[in-house]
Amino acid sequence: MIGPSLEVILPELILALYAMGGLLLAVYTAKDRVAKLLTWVTAAVFVALAVWIGTMQGVGVGFGGMFVADGFARFAKIGILLSAAAVLLMAVDYLERRDLLRFEYPMLVTLAVVGMMVMVSSGDLIILYMGLELQSLAAYVIAAIRRDSVKSTEAGLKYFVLGALSSGLLLYGISLVYGYAGTTLYAGVFTVAFGEMPLGLLFGLVFVMSGLAFKISAAPFHMWTPDVYEGAPTPVAAFFATAPKLAAMALLARVVWDAFGLAVADWTQVIALLSVLSMILGSVAAIGQRDIKRLMAYSSIGHMGYALIGLAAGTAFGVEAMLLYMAIYIAMNVGAFAFILLMERGGRPVPDIGALGGLARYEPVRAWSMLVLMFSMAGVPPFLGFFAKFVVLQAAVAADMVWLAVIGVVASVVGAFYYLRIVYLMFFGEEADELDRGGDAIQRVMLVGSAAVMVLGMISLLGVDDAAALAAAALIAG
Amino acid sequence: MAGAQGRNGIVAGWLPVAIAAALFAFFVSLAPEVAAGRAPAVSWDWLPSLGIAFGFRVDGLALTFALLISGIGALVLLYSNAYLAGHPQYARFALFLTSFMLAMLGLVLAADLIALFVFWELTTITSYLLIGFIHEDPKSRRNALQALFVTGGGALAMLAGFILIGMAAGTFDIAAINAAGLQAHPWYGAILVLMLIGAFTKSAQVPLHFWLPNAMAAPTPVSAFLHSATMVKGGVYLLARLHPSLSGTEAWLWSLTLFGGATAVFASLQAMRQTDLKQALAYTTLMALGTLVLLLGQSTGYALTAFAAFLVVHSLYKAALFLVVGCVDHETGTRQVGVLGGLLRPMPATALAAALAALSMAGIPPLLGFIAKEIAYASAAQSFAPLLVAATLLAANVLMVAVAGVVAIGPFWQRARGPLPKAPHEAPWAMLAGPLLLAALGLGLGLLPGPVQTYLVDPVVLGALGPGAVPAELKLWAGVNLALVLSGVTLALGIAVWLARGAARRALERALGALPSLDAGWDGFMDGLKAFAVWQTRIIQGGRLRVYMATMFVVVAAAVGGSMLLRGALPAWPDLSDVTPQNVVLLGLIGAGSVLAAFTGSRILAMAALGVTGIGVAMTFIVFSAPDVAITQLLVETLIVVLVAVALLRLPQLDPTGRPSFRPWDAALAAAVGIGTTLVLLAVLQQPLDLSLTAFFEAASYPEAFGRNIVNVILVDFRALDTFGEIAVVVIAALSSYALLRTTAPVWGRGPGGTRR
Repeated sequence: MIGPSLEVILPELILALYAMGGLLLAVYTAKDRVAKLLTWVTAAVFVALAVWIGTMQGVGVGFGGMFVADGFARFAKIGILLSAAAVLLMAVDYLERRDLLRFEYPMLVTLAVVGMMVMVSSGDLIILYMGLELQSLAAYVIAAIRRDSVKSTEAGLKYFVLGALSSGLLLYGISLVYGYAGTTLYAGVFTVAFGEMPLGLLFGLVFVMSGLAFKISAAPFHMWTPDVYEGAPTPVAAFFATAPKLAAMALLARVVWDAFGLAVADWTQVIALLSVLSMILGSVAAIGQRDIKRLMAYSSIGHMGYALIGLAAGTAFGVEAMLLYMAIYIAMNVGAFAFILLMERGGRPVPDIGALGGLARYEPVRAWSMLVLMFSMAGVPPFLGFFAKFVVLQAAVAADMVWLAVIGVVASVVGAFYYLRIVYLMFFGEEADELDRGGDAIQRVMLVGSAAVMVLGMISLLGVDDAAALAAAALIAG
Repeated sequence: MAGAQGRNGIVAGWLPVAIAAALFAFFVSLAPEVAAGRAPAVSWDWLPSLGIAFGFRVDGLALTFALLISGIGALVLLYSNAYLAGHPQYARFALFLTSFMLAMLGLVLAADLIALFVFWELTTITSYLLIGFIHEDPKSRRNALQALFVTGGGALAMLAGFILIGMAAGTFDIAAINAAGLQAHPWYGAILVLMLIGAFTKSAQVPLHFWLPNAMAAPTPVSAFLHSATMVKGGVYLLARLHPSLSGTEAWLWSLTLFGGATAVFASLQAMRQTDLKQALAYTTLMALGTLVLLLGQSTGYALTAFAAFLVVHSLYKAALFLVVGCVDHETGTRQVGVLGGLLRPMPATALAAALAALSMAGIPPLLGFIAKEIAYASAAQSFAPLLVAATLLAANVLMVAVAGVVAIGPFWQRARGPLPKAPHEAPWAMLAGPLLLAALGLGLGLLPGPVQTYLVDPVVLGALGPGAVPAELKLWAGVNLALVLSGVTLALGIAVWLARGAARRALERALGALPSLDAGWDGFMDGLKAFAVWQTRIIQGGRLRVYMATMFVVVAAAVGGSMLLRGALPAWPDLSDVTPQNVVLLGLIGAGSVLAAFTGSRILAMAALGVTGIGVAMTFIVFSAPDVAITQLLVETLIVVLVAVALLRLPQLDPTGRPSFRPWDAALAAAVGIGTTLVLLAVLQQPLDLSLTAFFEAASYPEAFGRNIVNVILVDFRALDTFGEIAVVVIAALSSYALLRTTAPVWGRGPGGTRR
């Protein structure tokens, strides 16, 4: 009876067993000496799973509807696995040179990835919570992995305290929903959440969305993001900026559509508000930053705002736009963080953007790649980031939310300022002391590869748009 | 000098010229077909899921622009090769300039709005790189950034407009949009405003013009190409391109006339005031852009003819004059009106080019500039406000005559005013070819305006107004009419102003110097933006966890309270009739624990007090017949108190006095959250709860599980697995606390961590 269900969660099952096996193996054998090997193997496992999931078809439902493996989940899982693999590989050199490459690192990332995969496949509020907590707990630990650094520890603690608070809100919301729907299954909530919803259900929705807004760091639940990005080791920040964002965004889409799909008007307003606040805050606050990691934190807050526009549209096209946005966002962020990892002087990280002055002169490849990425992030055509912004704006206009699109445009004008300032510094800025040339080959490949995707993607969006459309159709139909 | 041209190498030096020339030849070959009314087009599906195609369509308007861009582009590239001979980064410069030219061609040929936007932004980026090319100069960097932000910001507004158009028309295909028209659509107003913002920033209309004179920081060939002939005309092109869809309304008429007219007059006055030749030319470009916008606004056959003719003429003479100024600057080392003089003898060819171009600019027969001006005056008579339009054109043209004199007569025909930084001699042939050819074209096409009419002007007019339109005829002698009289007046007044140029300049200096300019506010605005960003970061993002948590509480309280108020669902006062003394005791226990925890200064005491609260909650579960939950709660509560107490004892004491300070904000926030939660619970409890579960257990407990005590049955049967899980949790918690306590060294009386109180 449980057999078919296990088949549905087979990828998650394999990954979870792999994590446990890996931990045991490392503990009882060579410990940190296998950390590097383990990281590579983990990345390979991620990629293999992504490929495997990519070949799957149809809809698998397990555990009486608590777990759903449909096209939507597959799209998100592939994004999560691939970006996690990329970020893992980028981290090796950085962590190794600082003696931070513990075998727990790849295993914690694996556990977080399992949590994320469960999140995007959830068909039940309890599964949602379980996946989210698995992801979060692993994340709290790796945020503080640099235990001898006050900043890293502080980042981990802050993340934990605020994360626990948001989890509390989420759980409170789930209880309220359960009390009024009589079930935690999305499909069950779906049948009662329509029209003039009972007040308890409405409050439940508000609390659940607040909890999830924290995970995607949408304003005003964003406050942890800059501090944690700054404090955590750069590869960890890179991880936080990519896969978990996609997972939480997909989860949010899943909850609002699968459980509250008949009460669209009740949540689009809330999401639109989150979106507006995030876009404005993300663009304005970033201007004052000189630390590139903090800057990227605000950038990701702003980007979440744009992705939320798609969700706020409350249409299938809006979901497609959101997925497309997130996929492009992740691809850009991998490259941008590879660039940040390469920002070192004498082997020490230099997060100040003033250090980029004159980079184009002595590291042209790096500077041009970053130029492409920054233009793409600012949404300047013809780079891929433009199409991301374009689809969400189009979705908003199509859903008669022109005001939201207008705010989006205004925010991206302001936001362009800090992206272009980085370009300006690299190409025209005052000459600063030279940063280290060369650097880790993997990081360079990620940087150039990500920039190449931004350029080549403009030809046909690499087919991601069709995949996103299929995924969105799977969500709305299911 | 001949050797200098070889220094940039074949690839960087000559390949771009060849590309541009080949493109020009290609567009010339298309001219007969386009003049016959056909529009060759190619198109590919680009992003079908978004309804975006990638296509080019060569109609009359596009072809006219394409010819100007590729033709002038070839000459400017040829010129740059000599102007920047031996520059270490010439290859990069040539790459930027060629990319810019290709982007500009894409812009005018694009058949799809989104493709057009993509090319539009590409011109912005490449021009940014070109303006900032001399990047050792901080002013040049600042101005490049300014141009980028102003035009980039305008472009984003335009993108919003494009999306609206796409939604309104159901397609991004420009020809289809123009066939349907947008004037009747409810979004027309918004679309027009957004289009105007985009077009006016790119084409530098007052008051968004300030970036253009600053962009003159670029090397002179760049100014000649971008800021006279091509990029700045992008906005004008957009308006002409969408003319069939947007024109004909009052809003269109007035906004284009007023902004265009204001720009033309304002810019002419500014041009008169400048002492730097390049700055003077920059402002005359502004004037030309204003005139073009003004003419587009009128939408008559005459006005459109004047538009097309003036577009061509202006590109020819303005590019020529910029290149001339470049020659002068290159050979003498200065561009200052007050210094230059006596260059006729050492630089005769340059002087000839300058004279011809200036005559065209001043609108003197038999040059093409004269014809364009005549038709513009004639169109004024047909416009909706003849006096306003004619007066605007007259004022602007008078000053053009005077500026033409300043540029072409001063440096060449007047005596030298002093020693020049470099001994002047003639520029190399590659630098002369462009200005001479462009200036000669102004003369040749003036004498024989037929080809201009057939291949450049008529297709534009027909394209913008539809096949029924009647373009005006370009001819040198149209008889004695109002336009000729106005031309005469223009010339006379223009010469008068030129003669009194010293006084005019001083007067303008006084009048315009006091005018507020957005440029002056620009740096302030940028600094203000930064200061605001820093300020708000300090307020919201101070790094203090307490503030973050407070924010989250405030937001949640506001969200819940707000939705409650919006729903009008404030709870009624609850019915307290069934409160038992038992309830009151429990309530007192919970309340006392909370209050004590809030007011005590001792951590241990606070923790213990919270434990009391927890036990109160656990007992509440017992009262309401949920013993399993109560037991779990009790165990967990005990464990937490013990574990946290152990941890607290090891923490250093931060506040030596141990007295709690009074924090009114925190108290208010706590009260708000507490009251909010209470209200939520009251409101929620007053609504019917879903009782299907209760009903299920009531109905099923005996038949299915053979038990009459429903709670028991739930615990050991229906939720047996849950109960097992709860037991497991308790066991694990106990084990881990044992492990924790065992590995922890004795804490009493040891080290700075342990405090004996």
